[in-house]
Amino acid sequence: MADKKIAAYICQGCGLGERLDTAQLAKIAKSEGKAAIAKQHEFLCNANGVQMIQNDIDNEGVTHVVLGACSRRAKTDAFNFQNIALMRANLREGVIWVRPDDEDNRETTQEMADDYIRMACAEAKFVDIPESSNEQGLNRTVMVVGGGVTGMTAALETAKAGYNAILVEKTGALGGMAAKLYKSIPQSAPYSTPADSGVADLIAQVNSNDRITVHLNATLNKTSGAPGRFAADIRIESGATFTEQFGAIIQASGFKPYDARKLPEFSFGKTPDVVDQLGLEALAQAANGAPIKRPSDGKEVKSVVFIQCAGQRSEKQGHLSYCSGHCCSTSIKQAMYFKQANPDTDAMVVYTDLRTPGAGGEDFYRNGQQQGITFTKGEARTVTINDGNLTVKFKDLILNEDVDMDTDLVVLATGMMPNSGVDIEATPAKLDENCKDCSNDEKSGAVAPVIQESVLNLDYRQGLDLPQLVTGFTDSHFICFPYETRRTGIYTAGPVRRPMDMLQAQDDACGAAMKAIQVIENSSKGLAAHPRVGDLSFPRFRKEGCTQCKRCTVECPFGAINEDEQGYPQFNESRCRRCGTCMGACPVRVISFANYSIDSVGQQIKAVDMPDEYSEKPRILVLACENDAYPALDMAGMNREQYSAFVRIIPVRCLGSVNTIWITDALNSGYDGIILMGCKKGDDYQCHFVKGSELAHIRMSKIDDTLTTLNLEPARVATYEVAITDMHRVPQLINDMAATVLRCGMSPFKF
Amino acid sequence: MSNTAKYRNDFLKEVEANVEEGEWVKMCMQCGVCAGSCPLGNAWEHTPQKIFMMIRAGKRDEVLSSDAMWMCTSCYNCIVRCPREVPITHIMHGLAHYAKRLGLVPANQPTAKFAQLFWNNLSKRGRINELTLGLGLYFMNGFVEGIKTSIKMQSLGLNMIKTGRMNVMEIFGGHSVKDTSGFHAMLQKAEEIEATRIK
Amino acid sequence: MTEVVATNQTILVVGGGISGMTAALEAAECGKQVILLEKNPSLGGRVSQLYKYFPKLCMPTCGMEINLRRIKANPNVRVLTLAEVTQVSGTTGNYQVKVKLSPRYVNSNCTACGACADAVTAEFPNEYNYGLNNRKGAYLPFFMAYPQRYVLDPKIIGTADADKAQAACHCGAIDLDMQTEEMDLQIGSIIWATGWQPFDADKIQPYGHDRFANVITSVEMERMMDPMGPTGGRLVRPSDGQEAKNVAFIQCAGSRDRNYLKHCSRICCMATLKQTTYLREQFGDAGRATVYYIDIRAIDRFENFYQKVMKDDNIKFIKSKVANVIENKENNNPILRGVNTEGYHRYADEYDLVVLAVGMQPSVDFKSLGIDIVVNDNGFIEQNPHNGGMFAAGCASDALDVNRAVQNATASSLRAIQVINQVAGAEG
Repeated sequence: MADKKIAAYICQGCGLGERLDTAQLAKIAKSEGKAAIAKQHEFLCNANGVQMIQNDIDNEGVTHVVLGACSRRAKTDAFNFQNIALMRANLREGVIWVRPDDEDNRETTQEMADDYIRMACAEAKFVDIPESSNEQGLNRTVMVVGGGVTGMTAALETAKAGYNAILVEKTGALGGMAAKLYKSIPQSAPYSTPADSGVADLIAQVNSNDRITVHLNATLNKTSGAPGRFAADIRIESGATFTEQFGAIIQASGFKPYDARKLPEFSFGKTPDVVDQLGLEALAQAANGAPIKRPSDGKEVKSVVFIQCAGQRSEKQGHLSYCSGHCCSTSIKQAMYFKQANPDTDAMVVYTDLRTPGAGGEDFYRNGQQQGITFTKGEARTVTINDGNLTVKFKDLILNEDVDMDTDLVVLATGMMPNSGVDIEATPAKLDENCKDCSNDEKSGAVAPVIQESVLNLDYRQGLDLPQLVTGFTDSHFICFPYETRRTGIYTAGPVRRPMDMLQAQDDACGAAMKAIQVIENSSKGLAAHPRVGDLSFPRFRKEGCTQCKRCTVECPFGAINEDEQGYPQFNESRCRRCGTCMGACPVRVISFANYSIDSVGQQIKAVDMPDEYSEKPRILVLACENDAYPALDMAGMNREQYSAFVRIIPVRCLGSVNTIWITDALNSGYDGIILMGCKKGDDYQCHFVKGSELAHIRMSKIDDTLTTLNLEPARVATYEVAITDMHRVPQLINDMAATVLRCGMSPFKF
Repeated sequence: MSNTAKYRNDFLKEVEANVEEGEWVKMCMQCGVCAGSCPLGNAWEHTPQKIFMMIRAGKRDEVLSSDAMWMCTSCYNCIVRCPREVPITHIMHGLAHYAKRLGLVPANQPTAKFAQLFWNNLSKRGRINELTLGLGLYFMNGFVEGIKTSIKMQSLGLNMIKTGRMNVMEIFGGHSVKDTSGFHAMLQKAEEIEATRIK
Repeated sequence: MTEVVATNQTILVVGGGISGMTAALEAAECGKQVILLEKNPSLGGRVSQLYKYFPKLCMPTCGMEINLRRIKANPNVRVLTLAEVTQVSGTTGNYQVKVKLSPRYVNSNCTACGACADAVTAEFPNEYNYGLNNRKGAYLPFFMAYPQRYVLDPKIIGTADADKAQAACHCGAIDLDMQTEEMDLQIGSIIWATGWQPFDADKIQPYGHDRFANVITSVEMERMMDPMGPTGGRLVRPSDGQEAKNVAFIQCAGSRDRNYLKHCSRICCMATLKQTTYLREQFGDAGRATVYYIDIRAIDRFENFYQKVMKDDNIKFIKSKVANVIENKENNNPILRGVNTEGYHRYADEYDLVVLAVGMQPSVDFKSLGIDIVVNDNGFIEQNPHNGGMFAAGCASDALDVNRAVQNATASSLRAIQVINQVAGAEG
């Protein structure tokens, strides 16, 4: 790589020229910032300004460009230079737009701008242009785990896009749960009658597709590697093991039905005439279009009652708290089995909320009513056996009365439980709490709780399977980025991700296949996956300094780092999301990125001109998450909200990348206050790197010791959860800190 | 109170077979907009939506002896607002009609009484006799009540006579359609058809 | 002329909301060439007009910021705003698409400094805020708008305001001579991510949205709660600007109703549950909400959210489709009338404000556009082999929440890639 050459360009447009002494800024860039070139321009982002910069890059060998202009979020199309490092000193949204335009404030506003130029130049000195590591692999095969509808669809869609797929199914046949269905919920208009599930066709397509390899009776014994270069030991029934190589994984391990035996009040298990929905499918398959027979005596069922939400939507011990979503439509479908075989059969659904959302759902409900299925808003209490018949006791919520109703058959709409493998984050306490169905013996530890079998058997430092939500489904960034699991290159699809019906599962499989082929393409080029897509930087690590403390491997939210035998971290580039949490975690500061490091931020902190203790010009450092807090600060500027001129703001990739050395260094070099602004943490986390903000909060809770050692007030350091909409709040947080500093007095550490 | 053997569809099927538009009862989703939209809602024991639920629950006697369906004034608010386009007004009338056929109308149900008066009056000559119908209505609940009501309604009656809306001579029979015997034959036929249609 | 290079290996995504952005980005990040069309001046779509998402109560602009950063960083995506498809012909792998580009009157020199907006005077209803306030004739649709570039309302062209705007601009960014352009694109596959529009609440006569100031829609409430919205994030009564602390929510306003939209719009139950939490957020113990519903449709982990909301004593649920709304003439309070169907309880309940949980309907009538694609009775695009290389993404396919819209858009992206890869394979 060519020698580093820094050039600074100061824009005079948008009022910068009038409000600031741009000549002074250029001078600072040259003298203090060591920029080889420092130019002012009246309108940097127009064609002429951009050309000026491009000329310097092309002809003067400029490698590092410092722009003293607007925010890094603005004019990105114009300032789109290739193969150079770009620093943006935010003089517009971050300085002149947040300061009053008057003589009194001219000096402090200029000082802000001066510092931002110093900081950008300091950053430039410690930033390299990232290059890929050359450790990438390119294997364009996708591993699909699970041979149900979701898995088969994922494999077929992958193949259709021109990629190969390996399908691993733990049982002896493809088809999964869907193969156990007599018919499925219709997927297209007019949504009036149960449809063929299409499973046989799917199986035939999978078996005849040249791009798909199927392994039945097979499980993943050990999975290792990274996107683009995964490998798995696959064990088959005979006990033999062989290895497959692939570039990405789709986990379509599906669900298991809730164990209805946990609902003794409904007599499941005491009589064969109380079945769950899968049990009813078996009866329907046996009848194959003829009237369904009652298991106990083989008589035709003349009356059937469907009890919705059995053991779900409930906070009772051992019940599922969530709604499995498909069961209302499934009950309608099953009631249609009866009505279509014999319209005189009474079929009643007892529900509290009939949940058939969307366009097709409501049509299906209406069609069910049309076919004579009756619906009663009620709460089912018990099912008892009387003389071979069943009595359902329920409360009719509309007529407001308790009812005993005789019927021939009862179907319990129980829920879905994900096959998500081992809960790697379960603490002993959590296990205990989750194990609501355990007997007291189990809880007291006399009997070990049932150990979940791993699905992926990942050879990862961070555990065998994917992290889970509290409900047991696999974790993802749920709303905006539903496929972004916490293990790069491993995408979950179907009911293992959230409860869903077949139509949604097929869509989901298709989306997961999209992500799988995408990660293969990008990882082969060394490009990061979401959300820093295309980022070529990756963590570099200086082994000599490492103390094998394992904090980086433990804290990595994406399970990217393994450990070798001696406990040294082993980075896996394509598993890494480049959030920098490892860098923030490292107590000896041996982890860094080419373009983001302890120094690239630390030196910015140090570059700020520190007025002395008697100047009445305190300095407040803000480390702001670039995803949410920094845009909020920008928008405060766009809205011309004002905040203290004593603040200096540095965007960080994630609060998780903040190393406490930055805080101690800042305190030691005389900063009077420090604010960390990150995203919401906890179960409803908004942090794009899942754990970053949470980890930062934990680390900062320990900073008090440092403050005590320095004899500084704890109030000088504050950590906040900030939302991108906090346009009014962020200036307030800054001004509050300015007030705190005023109250505590100036830091005595100014040298 | 136990409701054993209820919630089976026998009564629902009976309604579907015998009540005008009865096949729509199963389409109700219990939103209650009909109940809330009824201008006479306060006067009802059971709202339409509740009647429909009672039909599904198999409460045959309660439904057919209810006075709810006799309270409907055919304002059509419920039909207009029903999200399922259930012809509620028609069903209510259908239920009333069916209850009447089965002789299950509550005694002294005023609307039912009036309806009978109206029908008796109309079916005689094919035209309504305002005077006899009005007087019949006044004296529906006995002679003393009738005198009281007549006195109360005196000015209305006089005004109607003044404006030519009512003729005192009507007391002697009144006007009729052109072909009275044809009209009666027509009614006879209609009743026969109805009898075969409804079980 | 706007120059756009497209080939039969290019994917066209129509609609720049979250589904369109997702579909475009997933394909582009797989190395495919994508053109992303948006008819408004900015990307963002409906979700950019929301205050929070359920169930995490996070900010839609947070995800949008990430998506915008992905777009800014990706040379494979070409964004065209103020652009509409006028005609589609051809077949899978070989579509000819006519696109109309309306003039913005502002070129790429714009720095979004805002000088033009300061200079002009005429105001127009702000469509971003559903007309709850006004905006200038020169405006940035919202702070997060992308491209971050002002727009001149065509209505000020030819007026003194246009000249004032031009005079105020120091960047030479205002071009009053811009004309409507037509473009012909060669396209391999088309993704329709045209999204949804809120059902017109004025049509629901019994609820009086057109007559009573204090009857608003759920989408309007989202704008009010936004700190950057028309009321600066305050939930107030439009009639008098007083705080609306006691609020009723009417579910299925336009949905599940043969008089309006036959389908269930899926999202409205959760949107309302989310909005009930706004009352607590804004007014603490003084905030109260009552929800009038037919069925609460909170599937999956949304149920847990519902359970949490139900535990709040200040939030009540009444199973009832409200019959009508009248207004208390003295204080402009809306009064809801109907029957609680659980038991039989007639009510006439008075509130500070009523929010209609309006339904979702497709934004685009594909039939009238003359586009040969299978559409169901509700106007949504069905997945059908007849559609060839055209796919729906997000709410063009069904009433979907954001999570499912993104899921669907990601799937559509793959379907488009399958077409493109087949074209590429055929061409060797």
